[in-house]
Amino acid sequence: MNSCEKVRTQLAMLLYGELSFDEEEAVDRHLEGCVACRTALEHQRHLHAAFDQVAVEPPASLLWESRQRLQQSIAEAHAPVASRRGWWDQLVDSLTLRPSSNTSSNNGWLRSAGALALLTIGFLGARVAPNLGPQIAGMSLADPGEQRVRSVEPAANGDIQIVLDETHQRVVSGQLDDQNIQVLLLSAAKDPSDPGLRYETVGILNDRAQTSEVRDTLIYALEHDENAGVRLKAMDGLRPFVTQPEVRKALTGVLLSDGNPGMRTQAIDLLTQGVGESTNDLTGKALDRDVIGTLQELMNRENNAYVRQRGQRVLQLVNASAETY
Amino acid sequence: MAQTAGVQADEKALIRAAQEGDQDAFGQLVRAYDKSVLRLAMNLLRSPEDAQDVYQEAFFRVYRNLKSFRFDCSFHTWLYRIVTNLCLDHMRKRKVRREESSQVEGLDGPVDRMDTFQESRADGDPQRSLFSGELRQGINKALSELTARERMVFELRHYQGMKLRDIGEALGTTEEAAKNCLFRATQKMRVALGDFV
Repeated sequence: MNSCEKVRTQLAMLLYGELSFDEEEAVDRHLEGCVACRTALEHQRHLHAAFDQVAVEPPASLLWESRQRLQQSIAEAHAPVASRRGWWDQLVDSLTLRPSSNTSSNNGWLRSAGALALLTIGFLGARVAPNLGPQIAGMSLADPGEQRVRSVEPAANGDIQIVLDETHQRVVSGQLDDQNIQVLLLSAAKDPSDPGLRYETVGILNDRAQTSEVRDTLIYALEHDENAGVRLKAMDGLRPFVTQPEVRKALTGVLLSDGNPGMRTQAIDLLTQGVGESTNDLTGKALDRDVIGTLQELMNRENNAYVRQRGQRVLQLVNASAETY
Repeated sequence: MAQTAGVQADEKALIRAAQEGDQDAFGQLVRAYDKSVLRLAMNLLRSPEDAQDVYQEAFFRVYRNLKSFRFDCSFHTWLYRIVTNLCLDHMRKRKVRREESSQVEGLDGPVDRMDTFQESRADGDPQRSLFSGELRQGINKALSELTARERMVFELRHYQGMKLRDIGEALGTTEEAAKNCLFRATQKMRVALGDFV
């Protein structure tokens, strides 16, 4: 096997960070001098990104059903035959806080599962924008599974303030510049339970990134979302605003702390936009000194060969050292 | 590091409480891991029903056997040993039966059931809609042609982000064997999908 063939069999393992130190050294050395293998590495990176696209996120409803079934199985395995109650009875107890005849500690978890059920079924509209739809007056607590009292608190004027979790789904539609729609979208972009929802929402918000509120949400997603696909999408939306200090700060953070090499590569590209397009006036002065400093810091800590190579290339183009002083 | 140690201590306390019969503690343990378990099963088995079966069986086994858990390995490793064994059983049985359970009839012929989940997510997102259906099919086909063990190691490394050492431990083998398995899987994928990218 010649060295190009060997290196190409190792590219996937390189991207996974699973080569030994010596293997990675050898591959890095080879890549420095071989354009064809660098291209192959780029292909492998695209392939990895494509793998991510076929991943399936289980719907929240499936997770909820699974939890319910498990709880039911465990309860059935434990309850004495004579006093065994139907799972529906138990679920209703948990949803309505109706006192149950079974006082065992099983109820605690079942109640949590009931609350979770409501949070899972409960649609965004009910959770984040209670003022958008009909008021709660007229809803009956006796209607099991419809709503659950989350908290009760006496108010100063003698009223009792009750917070209800609702299980109604509601369809809310409107234009993107409708403030209510924007409130929902900004909230959905941070919904921790559903990365697919966040991905779609961020994609829609990208068209409104000229407003600072939307931009802040995209920056939040870029910095905090656990899903790389969502972070990448948010980065796309911020692309036209790359000259703005808060966007550059967020991208710098990505460069130094995002765990995904693809994200770090994209951050380099965005922060160094224009570098390499013309050779006439590309000096260190043409690139923000902070970015140069960040790239130099990256060179000290970056383990991924491809990202290192990308950073080194930019530093070479602006005649900056790869070392910090 | 201190935070990780703190989390591990919290988990130990939860496990001990669950071993003593505290149902709330058991519920917390389930909720800490069940989403990733369901995702793993769903991606490997390509069927929500089978994934749910694995979920039920895995956590029920954990529940029944928790008292015998002696902290010889992490709870995560123990749980994943159970889950991966169940998934491997399902995958092998399916190969024997030569089922086409991941295929359903669509408007334009048979489609992968998982595509219906993905495509529902693609609405309103032109960029994602443009993602080549051909490439997706190619990837799914290439994945289906891996052996059960290769598929498992690839899934755990690529999608679950586990390190090979942990994968080896969960599958009851060495890190080196897991590495060889991942190497074979990635080579097969590279050969099968070389023309797509």
